[in-house]
Amino acid sequence: MALRAAVLRHIRVPVRTLAATGPKPQLQWSLCNSIRLFSSHDDHLTKEEVIDRVLDVVKSFPKVDPSKVTPHVHFQNDLGLDSLDNVEIVMALEEEFKLEIPDKEADKIDSCNLAIEYIYNHPMAG
Amino acid sequence: MSGATTAAYLARRAAQKERVRILYRRALKDTLNWAVHRHLFYQDASDLREKFEANKRVEDLDTIDRMIADGEASYNKWRHPDPYIVPWAPGGSKFTRNPVPPSGIEIVYDYGREDND
Repeated sequence: MALRAAVLRHIRVPVRTLAATGPKPQLQWSLCNSIRLFSSHDDHLTKEEVIDRVLDVVKSFPKVDPSKVTPHVHFQNDLGLDSLDNVEIVMALEEEFKLEIPDKEADKIDSCNLAIEYIYNHPMAG
Repeated sequence: MSGATTAAYLARRAAQKERVRILYRRALKDTLNWAVHRHLFYQDASDLREKFEANKRVEDLDTIDRMIADGEASYNKWRHPDPYIVPWAPGGSKFTRNPVPPSGIEIVYDYGREDND
């Protein structure tokens, strides 16, 4: 019995307590910067991406002056577009983000603000 | 003209404008369905826009109503039999493909332990 305890004491690995803070945690996080999440429901667009793409679509519209486009611009009041141009812009946004917007909702999208909010809150925005 | 800016007149004009916008939207989508190649679509879309622009300045309510009805009739006549619908939308190919399972159901994987215990 005492022999067993002596043998165990001999081969037991001494426990070392690590320093509480130090460069170690940072090193770990910097190694896994690009974390791959394996769920299929976490790839929602970030707000900056949505804003960038929406502004690109609006700027590439031929009747629009690209220098006037900001995230808060109103299509008919600020950019001087027609209501039919509004419809065309909404269709272009639908094609860009692979969405299907119902007719009633699409009628209400009047400015960049509304478009960005709608697309950001849509679960299937691609 | 009597009732030039009454509320009823304005409401009717607003309803007509909404009908025109929805009709233009559907006609544009239909044009995209028919004209698969992009350069053909641009040509057809600008033709459609010309047709809408030509009637822009009409003021008489009944004429406008008749023109909208004619436009909707010709839209119904030219509808594509197999339109492109986004897959996850109703009518698309992925719609209700993987429905959410009913809540409260729990699958307990015992791997035969309940039979062979």
